[in-house]
Amino acid sequence: MNKEELDKIIEKSFRTEFDFQLPVDFAKKVTSQVIRREQWKTDLREYLYLIGVLLSLLVVVLGFYYFVDKVFVFKAFTFLSENIIPVVSIIFILNFIFFADKVLLRLLFSRWNKT
Amino acid sequence: MVQHFSTNCCQTNRMNDSELIGQILNGNMNAFTFLVNRYQKLVVHITGRLIQRQDELEDVCQDVFLKVYQNLGKYRNECKLSTWIATIAYNTSINYLRKFKKGDEVNPDDSTAFRNLTEYKSNDFEKTDLHRYIRDQIELLPVQYRTVLTLFHLEEFSYQEIEQITGMPEGTIKSYLFRAKALLKEKLKFVVDGNSLNAVKEISHE
Repeated sequence: MNKEELDKIIEKSFRTEFDFQLPVDFAKKVTSQVIRREQWKTDLREYLYLIGVLLSLLVVVLGFYYFVDKVFVFKAFTFLSENIIPVVSIIFILNFIFFADKVLLRLLFSRWNKT
Repeated sequence: MVQHFSTNCCQTNRMNDSELIGQILNGNMNAFTFLVNRYQKLVVHITGRLIQRQDELEDVCQDVFLKVYQNLGKYRNECKLSTWIATIAYNTSINYLRKFKKGDEVNPDDSTAFRNLTEYKSNDFEKTDLHRYIRDQIELLPVQYRTVLTLFHLEEFSYQEIEQITGMPEGTIKSYLFRAKALLKEKLKFVVDGNSLNAVKEISHE
Protein backbone atom coordinates (compact mmCIF):
# COMPACT_ATOMS: atom_id res chain seq x y z
CA MET A 1 0.00 0.00 0.00
CA ASN A 2 1.45 3.40 -0.92
CA LYS A 3 1.48 6.52 1.25
CA GLU A 4 -1.36 8.29 -0.63
CA GLU A 5 -3.61 5.31 -0.27
CA LEU A 6 -2.90 5.13 3.45
CA ASP A 7 -3.55 8.87 3.79
CA LYS A 8 -6.91 8.39 2.11
CA ILE A 9 -7.85 5.57 4.48
CA ILE A 10 -6.85 7.61 7.52
CA GLU A 11 -8.79 10.67 6.27
CA LYS A 12 -11.81 8.46 5.59
CA SER A 13 -11.59 7.00 9.10
CA PHE A 14 -11.56 10.53 10.52
CA ARG A 15 -14.75 11.30 8.61
CA THR A 16 -16.57 8.11 9.57
CA GLU A 17 -19.46 8.37 12.02
CA PHE A 18 -18.78 6.49 15.24
CA ASP A 19 -20.95 4.03 17.13
CA PHE A 20 -22.35 6.28 19.88
CA GLN A 21 -26.03 7.03 19.41
CA LEU A 22 -28.87 8.74 21.20
CA PRO A 23 -32.38 7.30 21.59
CA VAL A 24 -34.83 8.08 18.78
CA ASP A 25 -37.03 10.13 21.12
CA PHE A 26 -34.11 12.14 22.55
CA ALA A 27 -35.37 15.52 21.28
CA LYS A 28 -38.82 14.92 22.80
CA LYS A 29 -37.26 13.88 26.11
CA VAL A 30 -35.13 17.04 26.25
CA THR A 31 -38.12 19.21 25.35
CA SER A 32 -40.23 17.58 28.08
CA GLN A 33 -37.46 18.19 30.58
CA VAL A 34 -37.21 21.85 29.55
CA ILE A 35 -41.00 22.20 29.86
CA ARG A 36 -40.91 20.63 33.35
CA ARG A 37 -38.10 22.95 34.44
CA GLU A 38 -39.84 26.01 33.10
CA GLN A 39 -43.09 24.90 34.78
CA TRP A 40 -41.25 24.42 38.09
CA LYS A 41 -39.73 27.90 37.82
CA THR A 42 -43.12 29.44 36.97
CA ASP A 43 -44.83 27.59 39.86
CA LEU A 44 -42.15 28.65 42.33
CA ARG A 45 -42.30 32.25 41.13
CA GLU A 46 -46.11 32.20 41.44
CA TYR A 47 -45.90 30.77 44.96
CA LEU A 48 -43.37 33.37 46.10
CA TYR A 49 -45.45 36.12 44.50
CA LEU A 50 -48.60 34.97 46.35
CA ILE A 51 -46.70 34.71 49.66
CA GLY A 52 -45.43 38.25 49.06
CA VAL A 53 -48.97 39.50 48.36
CA LEU A 54 -50.35 37.79 51.50
CA LEU A 55 -47.58 39.23 53.71
CA SER A 56 -48.09 42.68 52.21
CA LEU A 57 -51.84 42.45 52.88
CA LEU A 58 -51.16 41.41 56.47
CA VAL A 59 -48.84 44.37 56.98
CA VAL A 60 -51.41 46.77 55.47
CA VAL A 61 -54.23 45.40 57.66
CA LEU A 62 -52.03 45.57 60.78
CA GLY A 63 -50.96 49.10 59.88
CA PHE A 64 -54.59 50.10 59.40
CA TYR A 65 -55.63 48.58 62.74
CA TYR A 66 -52.64 50.22 64.45
CA PHE A 67 -54.13 53.63 63.67
CA VAL A 68 -57.74 52.62 64.32
CA ASP A 69 -57.37 50.38 67.37
CA LYS A 70 -53.87 50.22 68.88
CA VAL A 71 -55.06 48.13 71.86
CA PHE A 72 -56.33 45.37 69.58
CA VAL A 73 -52.98 45.18 67.75
CA PHE A 74 -51.07 44.97 71.04
CA LYS A 75 -53.47 42.31 72.32
CA ALA A 76 -52.97 40.34 69.11
CA PHE A 77 -49.17 40.54 69.43
CA THR A 78 -49.35 39.49 73.09
CA PHE A 79 -51.54 36.53 72.17
CA LEU A 80 -49.13 35.49 69.38
CA SER A 81 -46.04 35.78 71.58
CA GLU A 82 -47.70 33.81 74.39
CA ASN A 83 -48.66 31.01 71.98
CA ILE A 84 -45.61 31.10 69.81
CA ILE A 85 -45.26 27.32 69.29
CA PRO A 86 -48.85 26.61 68.13
CA VAL A 87 -48.86 29.79 66.02
CA VAL A 88 -45.59 28.90 64.28
CA SER A 89 -46.82 25.31 63.78
CA ILE A 90 -50.10 26.49 62.21
CA ILE A 91 -48.28 28.96 59.95
CA PHE A 92 -45.82 26.23 58.96
CA ILE A 93 -48.61 23.72 58.17
CA LEU A 94 -50.66 26.27 56.20
CA ASN A 95 -47.58 27.35 54.30
CA PHE A 96 -46.67 23.74 53.53
CA ILE A 97 -50.20 23.00 52.25
CA PHE A 98 -50.02 26.12 50.09
CA PHE A 99 -46.53 25.17 48.81
CA ALA A 100 -47.63 21.60 48.12
CA ASP A 101 -50.68 22.81 46.21
CA LYS A 102 -48.85 25.40 44.13
CA VAL A 103 -45.46 23.75 43.55
CA LEU A 104 -44.75 20.33 45.02
CA LEU A 105 -47.75 18.33 43.75
CA ARG A 106 -47.44 19.76 40.24
CA LEU A 107 -43.77 18.77 40.19
CA LEU A 108 -44.51 15.27 41.46
CA PHE A 109 -47.35 14.76 38.97
CA SER A 110 -45.14 15.84 36.09
CA ARG A 111 -42.45 13.37 37.25
CA TRP A 112 -45.00 10.56 37.52
CA ASN A 113 -46.27 11.36 34.05
CA LYS A 114 -42.69 11.14 32.78
CA THR A 115 -42.26 7.63 34.20
CA MET B 1 -45.05 30.47 29.84
CA VAL B 2 -44.11 27.79 27.37
CA GLN B 3 -46.19 27.32 24.28
CA HIS B 4 -46.31 23.68 23.29
CA PHE B 5 -47.08 23.24 19.62
CA SER B 6 -48.12 26.52 18.07
CA THR B 7 -46.21 26.05 14.80
CA ASN B 8 -46.61 22.92 12.75
CA CYS B 9 -43.69 20.67 11.79
CA CYS B 10 -43.58 21.68 8.10
CA GLN B 11 -43.22 25.35 9.00
CA THR B 12 -40.47 24.52 11.50
CA ASN B 13 -38.58 22.41 8.94
CA ARG B 14 -38.22 25.38 6.61
CA MET B 15 -36.97 27.77 9.30
CA ASN B 16 -33.42 29.05 9.35
CA ASP B 17 -31.50 29.30 12.62
CA SER B 18 -32.44 32.88 13.51
CA GLU B 19 -36.15 32.24 12.85
CA LEU B 20 -35.91 29.10 14.93
CA ILE B 21 -34.31 31.00 17.82
CA GLY B 22 -37.02 33.67 17.56
CA GLN B 23 -39.72 31.00 17.78
CA ILE B 24 -38.05 29.32 20.78
CA LEU B 25 -37.67 32.63 22.61
CA ASN B 26 -41.38 33.22 22.00
CA GLY B 27 -42.06 29.95 23.82
CA ASN B 28 -42.60 27.60 20.88
CA MET B 29 -41.37 24.26 22.22
CA ASN B 30 -41.95 22.54 18.89
CA ALA B 31 -39.23 24.77 17.48
CA PHE B 32 -36.93 23.72 20.31
CA THR B 33 -37.58 20.02 19.56
CA PHE B 34 -36.64 20.77 15.96
CA LEU B 35 -33.46 22.55 17.05
CA VAL B 36 -32.48 19.52 19.16
CA ASN B 37 -33.11 17.23 16.19
CA ARG B 38 -31.10 19.49 13.90
CA TYR B 39 -28.03 19.69 16.16
CA GLN B 40 -28.07 16.45 18.14
CA LYS B 41 -25.64 14.78 15.75
CA LEU B 42 -23.12 17.58 16.22
CA VAL B 43 -23.46 17.34 20.01
CA VAL B 44 -23.15 13.53 19.94
CA HIS B 45 -19.99 13.75 17.83
CA ILE B 46 -18.31 16.13 20.26
CA THR B 47 -19.48 14.66 23.57
CA GLY B 48 -19.16 11.06 22.33
CA ARG B 49 -15.56 11.57 21.21
CA LEU B 50 -14.68 13.28 24.46
CA ILE B 51 -16.41 11.21 27.14
CA GLN B 52 -16.43 7.90 25.19
CA ARG B 53 -19.17 6.26 27.25
CA GLN B 54 -22.52 5.38 25.75
CA ASP B 55 -24.21 5.08 29.18
CA GLU B 56 -23.29 8.66 30.12
CA LEU B 57 -23.70 10.16 26.69
CA GLU B 58 -27.45 10.83 26.92
CA ASP B 59 -27.16 12.67 30.23
CA VAL B 60 -24.32 14.88 29.01
CA CYS B 61 -26.12 15.64 25.72
CA GLN B 62 -29.27 16.47 27.67
CA ASP B 63 -27.24 18.80 29.85
CA VAL B 64 -25.82 20.49 26.74
CA PHE B 65 -29.28 21.19 25.29
CA LEU B 66 -30.61 22.43 28.64
CA LYS B 67 -27.73 24.93 28.68
CA VAL B 68 -28.52 25.84 25.07
CA TYR B 69 -32.14 26.58 26.04
CA GLN B 70 -31.18 28.54 29.16
CA ASN B 71 -28.62 30.67 27.30
CA LEU B 72 -30.40 31.09 23.98
CA GLY B 73 -31.39 34.63 24.90
CA LYS B 74 -27.69 35.51 25.17
CA TYR B 75 -26.85 34.25 21.66
CA ARG B 76 -25.91 37.29 19.58
CA ASN B 77 -25.36 36.00 16.01
CA GLU B 78 -21.62 36.74 16.32
CA CYS B 79 -20.90 33.21 15.17
CA LYS B 80 -22.89 30.40 13.55
CA LEU B 81 -25.40 28.67 15.82
CA SER B 82 -23.59 25.38 15.21
CA THR B 83 -20.33 26.92 16.48
CA TRP B 84 -22.10 28.29 19.55
CA ILE B 85 -23.74 24.93 20.33
CA ALA B 86 -20.44 23.13 19.70
CA THR B 87 -18.75 25.46 22.21
CA ILE B 88 -21.35 24.57 24.85
CA ALA B 89 -20.97 20.86 24.04
CA TYR B 90 -17.16 21.08 24.24
CA ASN B 91 -17.14 23.00 27.55
CA THR B 92 -19.75 20.70 29.11
CA SER B 93 -17.80 17.59 28.07
CA ILE B 94 -14.47 18.97 29.27
CA ASN B 95 -16.00 19.93 32.62
CA TYR B 96 -17.51 16.46 32.84
CA LEU B 97 -14.10 14.87 32.16
CA ARG B 98 -12.39 17.09 34.74
CA LYS B 99 -15.05 16.22 37.30
CA PHE B 100 -15.35 12.47 36.79
CA LYS B 101 -12.20 11.26 35.07
CA LYS B 102 -8.48 11.31 35.67
CA GLY B 103 -6.70 14.65 35.29
CA ASP B 104 -4.19 13.34 32.75
CA GLU B 105 -7.06 12.72 30.31
CA VAL B 106 -7.14 16.43 29.54
CA ASN B 107 -3.38 16.92 29.16
CA PRO B 108 -2.01 15.73 25.82
CA ASP B 109 1.28 13.90 25.96
CA ASP B 110 2.59 12.29 22.79
CA SER B 111 4.74 9.66 24.45
CA THR B 112 1.87 8.43 26.66
CA ALA B 113 -0.50 8.59 23.71
CA PHE B 114 1.94 6.59 21.62
CA ARG B 115 2.20 3.91 24.30
CA ASN B 116 -1.61 3.75 24.53
CA LEU B 117 -2.03 2.99 20.84
CA THR B 118 -1.85 -0.67 19.96
CA GLU B 119 0.31 -2.14 17.24
CA TYR B 120 -1.42 -3.20 14.03
CA LYS B 121 -0.61 -6.87 13.70
CA SER B 122 -3.01 -8.24 11.13
CA ASN B 123 -1.13 -10.43 8.67
CA ASP B 124 -3.98 -11.00 6.28
CA PHE B 125 -4.29 -7.30 5.75
CA GLU B 126 -7.63 -5.91 4.55
CA LYS B 127 -8.66 -2.29 4.06
CA THR B 128 -11.80 -2.71 6.15
CA ASP B 129 -9.74 -4.12 9.04
CA LEU B 130 -7.35 -1.22 8.81
CA HIS B 131 -10.25 1.23 8.71
CA ARG B 132 -11.76 -0.29 11.88
CA TYR B 133 -8.34 -0.36 13.52
CA ILE B 134 -7.73 3.35 12.82
CA ARG B 135 -11.15 4.25 14.23
CA ASP B 136 -10.37 2.32 17.41
CA GLN B 137 -7.00 4.03 17.69
CA ILE B 138 -8.58 7.49 17.35
CA GLU B 139 -10.49 6.73 20.55
CA LEU B 140 -7.15 6.09 22.31
CA LEU B 141 -5.67 9.46 21.38
CA PRO B 142 -5.53 12.31 23.95
CA VAL B 143 -8.74 14.25 24.33
CA GLN B 144 -7.51 17.41 22.51
CA TYR B 145 -6.43 15.38 19.50
CA ARG B 146 -9.79 13.62 19.36
CA THR B 147 -11.60 16.94 19.68
CA VAL B 148 -9.79 18.72 16.85
CA LEU B 149 -10.00 15.63 14.62
CA THR B 150 -13.76 15.45 15.13
CA LEU B 151 -14.37 19.16 14.68
CA PHE B 152 -12.13 19.47 11.62
CA HIS B 153 -12.77 16.25 9.74
CA LEU B 154 -16.21 15.07 10.86
CA GLU B 155 -17.98 18.39 11.40
CA GLU B 156 -15.88 20.33 8.89
CA PHE B 157 -15.38 23.42 11.05
CA SER B 158 -12.68 25.87 9.96
CA TYR B 159 -9.56 26.52 12.06
CA GLN B 160 -11.08 29.83 13.23
CA GLU B 161 -14.29 28.12 14.30
CA ILE B 162 -12.36 25.41 16.16
CA GLU B 163 -10.41 28.20 17.86
CA GLN B 164 -13.71 29.77 18.96
CA ILE B 165 -15.07 26.44 20.20
CA THR B 166 -12.05 25.14 22.09
CA GLY B 167 -10.12 28.31 22.86
CA MET B 168 -6.95 26.71 21.42
CA PRO B 169 -4.76 28.90 19.18
CA GLU B 170 -4.85 28.12 15.46
CA GLY B 171 -1.23 26.91 15.49
CA THR B 172 -1.99 24.42 18.27
CA ILE B 173 -5.01 23.10 16.37
CA LYS B 174 -2.91 22.54 13.25
CA SER B 175 -0.19 20.93 15.32
CA TYR B 176 -2.68 18.57 17.03
CA LEU B 177 -4.16 17.58 13.68
CA PHE B 178 -0.72 16.82 12.31
CA ARG B 179 0.48 14.99 15.41
CA ALA B 180 -2.67 12.87 15.63
CA LYS B 181 -2.20 11.77 12.05
CA ALA B 182 1.52 11.20 12.59
CA LEU B 183 0.91 9.08 15.70
CA LEU B 184 -1.53 6.90 13.82
CA LYS B 185 0.87 6.54 10.92
CA GLU B 186 3.66 5.52 13.26
CA LYS B 187 1.51 2.64 14.47
CA LEU B 188 0.95 1.66 10.88
CA LYS B 189 4.64 1.70 10.11
CA PHE B 190 4.60 -1.46 8.06
CA VAL B 191 2.64 0.42 5.40
CA VAL B 192 4.26 3.84 5.84
CA ASP B 193 7.49 4.77 4.16
CA GLY B 194 10.68 5.81 5.94
CA ASN B 195 10.22 9.59 5.54
CA SER B 196 6.96 9.63 7.46
CA LEU B 197 8.52 7.58 10.22
CA ASN B 198 11.31 10.11 10.60
CA ALA B 199 8.75 12.93 10.79
CA VAL B 200 6.94 11.13 13.59
CA LYS B 201 10.16 10.54 15.47
CA GLU B 202 11.04 14.24 15.21
CA ILE B 203 7.67 15.19 16.69
CA SER B 204 8.03 12.70 19.53
CA HIS B 205 11.40 14.19 20.48
CA GLU B 206 10.04 17.78 20.66
